[in-house]
Amino acid sequence: MSTDTPEPKATFSAAAAEAPGFHPRRFWSWRPLSDRQSGDAVVSNFLLHWFPAKSYRASFAWSYSFWLGTVSAALLLLLTVSGLPLLFLYIPSVERAYASVKDIEYVVTFGSWIRAVHRLSAHGMVIAVALHLVRVYLTGAYKNAAGGGQRRQWNWVLGVAMLLITLFLSFTGYLLPWDQLAFWAVTVGTNIASSVPAIGPMMRELLIGGREIEQPTLIRFYVLHVLFLPALLGLLFAYHMWRIRKDGGMAAVDRAASTVPAAPVKTKSYTLMGIARGASVQVEAAVDEGGKEGIRSSPHLVRRLAVVFIRLLGSVQALMAIEFTLGGALRGAGDTRFPLFVVLAGMVVMRLGTAVTLNALGFSVEWIYAALIADYVVKGAMLIWRFRSGHWKTVLAREPAPVSSPIEPSEA
Amino acid sequence: MKDRRDFLLNLGIGSGLAALGAQTVASMRSLVPNVSYDSPTTVKIGMPNDFADGLKFLPDERLFVFREGNTFHAVSAVCTHLGCTVRAEALSQPEVKTVEGQSLRLTHRFLCPCHGSKYGGDGSNVSGPAPKPLAWYHLSISQDDGQLVVDLARSVERDFRLTLA
Repeated sequence: MSTDTPEPKATFSAAAAEAPGFHPRRFWSWRPLSDRQSGDAVVSNFLLHWFPAKSYRASFAWSYSFWLGTVSAALLLLLTVSGLPLLFLYIPSVERAYASVKDIEYVVTFGSWIRAVHRLSAHGMVIAVALHLVRVYLTGAYKNAAGGGQRRQWNWVLGVAMLLITLFLSFTGYLLPWDQLAFWAVTVGTNIASSVPAIGPMMRELLIGGREIEQPTLIRFYVLHVLFLPALLGLLFAYHMWRIRKDGGMAAVDRAASTVPAAPVKTKSYTLMGIARGASVQVEAAVDEGGKEGIRSSPHLVRRLAVVFIRLLGSVQALMAIEFTLGGALRGAGDTRFPLFVVLAGMVVMRLGTAVTLNALGFSVEWIYAALIADYVVKGAMLIWRFRSGHWKTVLAREPAPVSSPIEPSEA
Repeated sequence: MKDRRDFLLNLGIGSGLAALGAQTVASMRSLVPNVSYDSPTTVKIGMPNDFADGLKFLPDERLFVFREGNTFHAVSAVCTHLGCTVRAEALSQPEVKTVEGQSLRLTHRFLCPCHGSKYGGDGSNVSGPAPKPLAWYHLSISQDDGQLVVDLARSVERDFRLTLA
């Protein structure tokens, strides 16, 4: 580059960008020099046009959302990208499907890599989408905040629909290799579908195009997998993103945006009690415990709870050992019903019963451990009684007589 | 205000929607097969003398054919839970049981590899998730060449026997 050539970067200096009447448009910049330049990237770039001009720093916190929505979207992109070459390589016919997948694995250059990316992304996406759902539930992101026009419940519904489509995409993709695993997985899966009351068998026949898993099934699953379901998922994805914008923005947006209210002292506890006993998610109190004299609940309160929990857990170790060993021994001997009964009795009657009773009497949360101890005491006692009674020795005697060798399939 | 213009507009929109609906119905209906290319349900499975005393498994039909002297019966190998193929296991000590008023020599039991259902030698579901017994199918002798014929669409009671003269 010669020295007398004008430096193009100079055009976009801060002063120039802010100058009245001068507005260079930039496609994209890692380091935009002004809000306007940053906004231009969003407005003028098709790939970014669905982004907000600004977002809160808190929304980007890994520890809040684990970026699970973004991870799911990235995996969807990766699945599309890795699926396109597979479209050219895979042949959806019962005679050639298995061989074409084998070719992808062993003959095509980079074939096994592309297929591995597609397969692993599919597994990953099911996990990411499920965790995303859990995250949205646990952070309460499905609830509307103060902002007007929010209908976040709709995005929850859309998300569940997308989760189901993701699962169905996995299921339809499962059949395509046309191997034993695929065949039997789809045999079992479509038989589950046919257990729907009344319309089940009809649904199965429509899904697999007959009574047997054959060529009509393969082509149906293939078209669903490569065309119908991805198109549906793409549409719902666009709608999902649009609703995020309409509903206020990305994760943690309410928290990042709201200021602490002044008049009634609201503590920083967000609990179910807040909803049950007041109008707010926050617990309203006469004294703000988070004042200058207060100590940090985290870690102090957490530490106290942990200490109590560990000590109590230690005191029931013997009973837990009895449950594991005797329960396992009885199940191994074929006496599976009694341990199931014991677990139910311990869990439902003792643990839940005690917990509900103590809660109704106004005991504090720590007393929940009393319920845990009661559970293990009862389970331990019942299992010891069962073991000593010796019933488990005779349970297997009712089964058919002992076995010899299995039958080899003969030639048809 | 209803005038001719509104009427024609509604007529146009209505026709368009009706056409779209008809096209959708046609598309969906075309996916319901009118002709089945599934394998036939009535299958010749071989001459009776090809079957030795005891049990023979036919993997293509997913069928167990039992022979005891000159009587035959056929039990499905399709698990009634979710359709996996069950495996026959010979009992070390065969027992004779009366099933549906007919005495039946039980030589095997059936185990499903998928979810652990167990069936007795007569196909009755003993344990596991299987909701009902294995099907028994109708056997006959073909008029034209004397082969055994199984009708996989016709399940029969467990007292069914095909007895050859």
